[in-house]
Amino acid sequence: MNPRVIARLVRKDCSLMKGPLAAYVAAALAGLLLTALVGGPVGRSAGVTLALNVLIGVSFHVMLGPVLGERERRTLAFVMSLPVTPAEVAIAKLVSAFALFLVPATIAATALVWATPFDIPARMAASQLPLWSHLLGTLGYYALVLGAWTLFFSVVLAAAIVSESVGWTVATLTGLLFVLGNFALQVLPRLSGVAHYLRALGHGEPALPITIACEAAGIAAVVAMIVALQRRKTSFV
Amino acid sequence: MSDRAIELRGVGRRYSHFALQGVDLDVPDGSVLGLVGPNGAGKSTLLRILIGLVRADAGRVSVLGRPMPQEERWIKARVGFVSEDMALYGAATLGWHMRLVRDMSPGWDERRAADLLERFSLDPGQRLRGLSRGQALKALLLLAMARRAELLVLDEPTAGLDPLVRHEILSLLKDTRGERRALVFSSHYGDDVASLADDVAFVHGGRLIAHAPVAELLRGGASLEQAFLERVGGLHTRRAA
Repeated sequence: MNPRVIARLVRKDCSLMKGPLAAYVAAALAGLLLTALVGGPVGRSAGVTLALNVLIGVSFHVMLGPVLGERERRTLAFVMSLPVTPAEVAIAKLVSAFALFLVPATIAATALVWATPFDIPARMAASQLPLWSHLLGTLGYYALVLGAWTLFFSVVLAAAIVSESVGWTVATLTGLLFVLGNFALQVLPRLSGVAHYLRALGHGEPALPITIACEAAGIAAVVAMIVALQRRKTSFV
Repeated sequence: MSDRAIELRGVGRRYSHFALQGVDLDVPDGSVLGLVGPNGAGKSTLLRILIGLVRADAGRVSVLGRPMPQEERWIKARVGFVSEDMALYGAATLGWHMRLVRDMSPGWDERRAADLLERFSLDPGQRLRGLSRGQALKALLLLAMARRAELLVLDEPTAGLDPLVRHEILSLLKDTRGERRALVFSSHYGDDVASLADDVAFVHGGRLIAHAPVAELLRGGASLEQAFLERVGGLHTRRAA
């Protein structure tokens, strides 16, 4: 595995996506400004909507561009004919997909954390905890939101790489968003165990680091599965 | 160092609908081999195996004296590959592609690239979206040949080109013959193969049914197409018997 080759391939993908990436970053920043500066119900609502659209839009764009687009547009054969190994191309694709997602997603997640219904610093201040714990609590919640979206992105990325099909990728993305998303938002909070868990999460109790650890483990498992499946491939066109 | 640019022994690749089977092939240094066969015969699969785009599931593949895929990077650094169903990034310029290939290929030669740009009348600042088929193929050839490839593998390089561009491409390949160890290409055009190749391999139904010098196959005034059809006919007769 040659890191210089991987870095050059990542630079290639980022260069090809620089236009859309700039647009998503600008939209995410606009969402953050609306949430933080304008504030109020209207500012928050508009900011959160924009942030969610950035997260969904950039996920679609990365899947249909650098991930699935290489094969569709027949550029994969050109890349694979250069002095690279399939493992390097697969790792570079994962790195560039996560990089292209995480840049705008980090800004969008900031907007979502800003608009969170759980006012962690206020709750902690009420418990007379020191300032560093307020920051830790906010960072924890930030990691929770970004982790959830990154896990969602990883699963869609796995669907794209494994199936190599636009149809299955879009089905996975929309299924996770609307079917599982609606279930999580509307049904889960009504369950008493989950409601208790959400209260614990809001208070920054051990539920928070456990959830973040579960998200990280989930992302790692999905990435490991993608790498393992890529190693078994015998055709790269 | 091996004196054979390519050495295949019992190479096979099985798909659900098709199988390339038991291919034995030697391409000596300094030679040009043309692959002839109908669509779906296995020519592209064979060429893709040479460059590692498809893994053989049987047999042994040696390119420039090194085993594929074990020494894939070493081989790819010395082999230029162009295929009719290969594309460059439409949103990027030719100059962008040249920088990409230069950064990844140890053999990149700036002077050679400049010569080819001039010969093909290509503009490095031009975006590749909207290029004609002929111009796109020239861009691909430039990127493969400026790497000073020891072996050039071309899959249907003249397919769909107008006669002028076809002539230009064939002239370039003839003029630069001494610059590399070997050239292997596939084509539907018997004239192209006859004018460029030293040897011809006929591929039919996933098998190599003949491998002989062009002069031998053209003996008696037959064309390559006739020679191919005779071999296929003979094969069918033997199978029926």
